Amino acid sequence: MSASSLKRTQLLKIATSLVKTHGFTREALARSVLYLPNQKHVESKQDNEDCQPLSDTAVSSLFGFGDAARTTLIHAWLDEGINHMSNSSQPARNVSDVLHTRLDWNEPVLGYLPEAFALLSTPNPSWLSLQFDPLPALKHAHRIADEAAYLSMDTSRELAWYARRISLAGIYSAAELHQLTSPSTAHSFLDSLLTGSSSLEQKLGDVMLYSDYVYKSWKGILKSRGML
Amino acid sequence: MFASSTVTRGLSRCFNRRFLASQAYIRPTPNDAATSTTPSNITLEQHAALDSALRVDHAGEVAANWIYRGQHFVLGKQPDVGPLIQEMWDQEKKHLAVMDKMQIQHRIRPTILIEAAKIGGFGLGAVTALMGKEAAMACTEAVETVIGEHYDDQLKEMESFPSDHPSIPLLREVVKEFRDDELEHLDIAVINHAQRAPAHALLSTVVGMGCKVAIELCKRF
Repeated sequence: MSASSLKRTQLLKIATSLVKTHGFTREALARSVLYLPNQKHVESKQDNEDCQPLSDTAVSSLFGFGDAARTTLIHAWLDEGINHMSNSSQPARNVSDVLHTRLDWNEPVLGYLPEAFALLSTPNPSWLSLQFDPLPALKHAHRIADEAAYLSMDTSRELAWYARRISLAGIYSAAELHQLTSPSTAHSFLDSLLTGSSSLEQKLGDVMLYSDYVYKSWKGILKSRGML
Repeated sequence: MFASSTVTRGLSRCFNRRFLASQAYIRPTPNDAATSTTPSNITLEQHAALDSALRVDHAGEVAANWIYRGQHFVLGKQPDVGPLIQEMWDQEKKHLAVMDKMQIQHRIRPTILIEAAKIGGFGLGAVTALMGKEAAMACTEAVETVIGEHYDDQLKEMESFPSDHPSIPLLREVVKEFRDDELEHLDIAVINHAQRAPAHALLSTVVGMGCKVAIELCKRF
């Protein structure tokens, strides 16, 4: 990785920590340079003429023009959220702890999240002329579900792998949307969804087991009559 | 010619049995990084290549298991070919067990076409077995030819992966071992008169093309 791209990565990482005070804005990206390790933190231009936020041109050249820079910051913040899930607490955890940890990551920036998600869902101009692009939301939910399954040592295989992740993505998405409107009850809402999901999974497992017994019984009956 | 290469390969395996790479997964050592972690320093393109490669390998082993299950369903009771099919099937079961663990270790998305692979595999195995034991062997010959070439191509691709993480050299050794096993099955099929199957050339071409299409589909889906 070149020195300039390392610097860009460093600035982006610093900018994600400024989101809670400045939101997902070009200003957060511009001010990230003030917090580089070898820079003194400066608030006022009078204190040090050399230490100023990045110019708009610099932000555009590093992170993209207009809202593209904000989108870059949002994606970087979401990536940090994934890292936060794995960096917290002990190694072998259950999926509930992991999802709660991820919800905690949202709390400092809840006020800025609706606009951020709306920005991500803005469709690119194309001949499809969709009003809303669902792919970023689906990718976001899938990443969190996949990370949660991995951290909870999930060993699902084949189609159960998909079922597990679709279930977790649905649960997390519902909890996150709930958090945007009612932050105080988000964690209990997540718990209720997880409890409901595990009871549904158990019932489906019982149905599969019963079906297996019925199948084996009939197979035995047909074999004993010489039809198999 | 084929008999001697099989014997040579067989003897080589006897001497090297304790060095089989797959044993690292069959009898894992606790906290072994080679079997429990995945490299984090590979590029996005390399990760995508690893993801599609292991997805195809896993799907291939599932399909191979079901092909032999289909063949065993029809020919399992025949004294000359039944035990042979059982032996090859047992080896594929071992391959699948290892692939299941590698899929979880490297966080690979399994193919969504897994049920189609099972149905297709069983159907292919059963239909060719109903055509006769030579046709069943011809099916094995065609499938193992494609799989052997596929594993070879993967080994070439994996040469570019960084070897500092212990899982990558182990992955290469496992793929080599499985390639050799599949080629051994090919030899066994040829020795057991695969080429006497009715319309051998047509059957081999159709089965081979089907395998290649399946590989391309599983890489993407």
